Amino acid sequence: MRTTARAIVPIILVVSISLFVEGHNLPGGGFIGGVLTTTAFAIIYVTFGLDFLERGVFGRDPDAELRPTRERVVDVYRRVFAVGLAIAVTSGLAPLVLGYPFLSQSFVVLEGVPLYDHLEVASALAFDFGVYCVVVGGLLTILSVVGAE
Amino acid sequence: MTGVVVAPMLVALVTAVVTLLLRRRVRTRVVVSVAGGLGYALAVAALCWQVVLAPDAPGIATYQVGDWPAPYGITLVADGLSAFMLAMVATVAVAATVFSARYVPSSERRTFYHPLFHFLLLGVTGSFLTGDLFNLFVWFEVMLMSSYVFVAFYGGPLHTRAAFWYVSLNLVASAVFLVAVGGLYATVGTLNMADMARRLAEPAAYGIDARPTVGLLALLLSVFALKAGLVPFQFWIPTAYRAAPPPVTALLAAASKKVGIYAIVRVSFTVFADAAVVVRLPWIEPTTPLAFVGAVLFVMATGSILVGGLGAIDRDSIEGVLAYSSIGQVGFIAVPVAIAATTTAPELRRFAILAALVYALNHSLAKGLLFLAAGTVRHATGTIYFDGLGGLARHFPTLSGTFLLGALSLVGIPPLSGFFGKFLVFDAAVRADASAVIALLLVGSLLTIAYATRAWNRGFWGARSPAVEDATIDPVQVAVLVALALVILAVGVGFDPIYRFADAAAGAALDAETYVDAVAPRGGESG
Repeated sequence: MRTTARAIVPIILVVSISLFVEGHNLPGGGFIGGVLTTTAFAIIYVTFGLDFLERGVFGRDPDAELRPTRERVVDVYRRVFAVGLAIAVTSGLAPLVLGYPFLSQSFVVLEGVPLYDHLEVASALAFDFGVYCVVVGGLLTILSVVGAE
Repeated sequence: MTGVVVAPMLVALVTAVVTLLLRRRVRTRVVVSVAGGLGYALAVAALCWQVVLAPDAPGIATYQVGDWPAPYGITLVADGLSAFMLAMVATVAVAATVFSARYVPSSERRTFYHPLFHFLLLGVTGSFLTGDLFNLFVWFEVMLMSSYVFVAFYGGPLHTRAAFWYVSLNLVASAVFLVAVGGLYATVGTLNMADMARRLAEPAAYGIDARPTVGLLALLLSVFALKAGLVPFQFWIPTAYRAAPPPVTALLAAASKKVGIYAIVRVSFTVFADAAVVVRLPWIEPTTPLAFVGAVLFVMATGSILVGGLGAIDRDSIEGVLAYSSIGQVGFIAVPVAIAATTTAPELRRFAILAALVYALNHSLAKGLLFLAAGTVRHATGTIYFDGLGGLARHFPTLSGTFLLGALSLVGIPPLSGFFGKFLVFDAAVRADASAVIALLLVGSLLTIAYATRAWNRGFWGARSPAVEDATIDPVQVAVLVALALVILAVGVGFDPIYRFADAAAGAALDAETYVDAVAPRGGESG
């Protein structure tokens, strides 16, 4: 199980990011990319236990006394959620400042990018990134809080 | 100019997000929340002025989100009806926001109170402004998601049970709503309300077989009736209203309920008014969709007035009385809507809608005031059960005075706003020449007097209970109550502008042609 997890978690993460990046005009997008990222974390939780991220990433011993809702990791997840929401809203408001209707989108195509040759950078990507953060933050909060009970 | 249409939604959305980001700074969060409430009211006032009230106002304004043209993109439409509803909600929302700042303790668990409050407001605003049926579903969900948390907010056994009921019931309702929206899309080929109205008016020109829309309309009607809390969909109201924090209950009663009423009016009178569809039911001769809606609504309203009135009489707490009274009062709003749907005379139809709107306004203000007053009582004494109360009138004259004023406005005493609401509803029934309706309204009014008197006698008169004796009252909460009471008085005394606003709103609700022209959906090809 641990060996499989080591192999598939990076693959899942890469696929989820590629889904997220091409979401504006191909199947994919912030939501499905976020869900896929969450499954990678869920696999880590299932294989290595709930405290692995706390220990491995933050290098701290999770205090058994603390309620799961107050742990550092959960706090980070919540912050990701809030920041993602803020990004999505700001990206919707930005066109207003420039004199276009709420949520207007545009895109530029960059030529000659290494590996990709040409890359479309759509303004929808900012909104999608917000959605991505909201999904990852929200689902991981639920997973770790409910999982700890 | 069109920016004002989207402004109220943006203010609520930004306030919600900013309060969410300010998790650690408790005091700043409360300040932002109150400022957001005031900003919301300003945005709504600007919208009302520019779209409806100004001398050269166009009466309707549209906004294409993301610059996608109708009917493909989402259209926001602000007409008289939306503006009237928004103004009504904004008044109560400001009061409830300020009240919340003093009512909800700022502990860790209450972190999400203010963001959710503004998300609830956002859902309500979006429902009033959207011109797209699927988008209406989305705003309903936004509204529901926040209210789920509020019903379970205190986390006790009562609240958990109420939340369980509320969530399961609304999940079923959402599923039904989605089926109806999907069915309408499959049948009519569009989700834009203006486009739908245009296509239903001449189905043959668009190659549509419109017969299934009758059943789908019935599904929609049941979902909206559930939101409005009309019998037989009323049973979630008493538990949910008692479980939620009082400021939220005030907003739920004043705003979420009215979303149900608004949706009924909008879908029946704007989308289905000219629909060339014949309703064929067993035992009943073929009729129009509107007459069908009217008949169903009338049955629901009758049930609501009786169940709500009789239920409110023997409740054991102030909030219980108010919750049941809400069921009855929505019946009073539904009666004129039913009259408008059944009649064929345009003047009477407009007048009946006007009566419904004025009554809805009065119910929002009075019920908002009463729920907030119940919150103050609970905050001061720790109980809302009549057994533990008594003698409030002597001890807290100002608080009791506002409660009395709200109750009298519900009963319909001049010069309060409630008088005009009741008067216009009775007038509509008399003009419709429906003696059964008048009898029903009389019975309902008597029940209102009975339960309002009883609540006053048991809670505010009599010997002082120990809980009342030891109570201290929050001055800001009382100030909010006094302000709302003054609004009720002002609406009653200076009724003329309100009447004209409501008349413009009723005109807008019935003028499907202007609505379609303003949205101007493209594409005349068959769907």
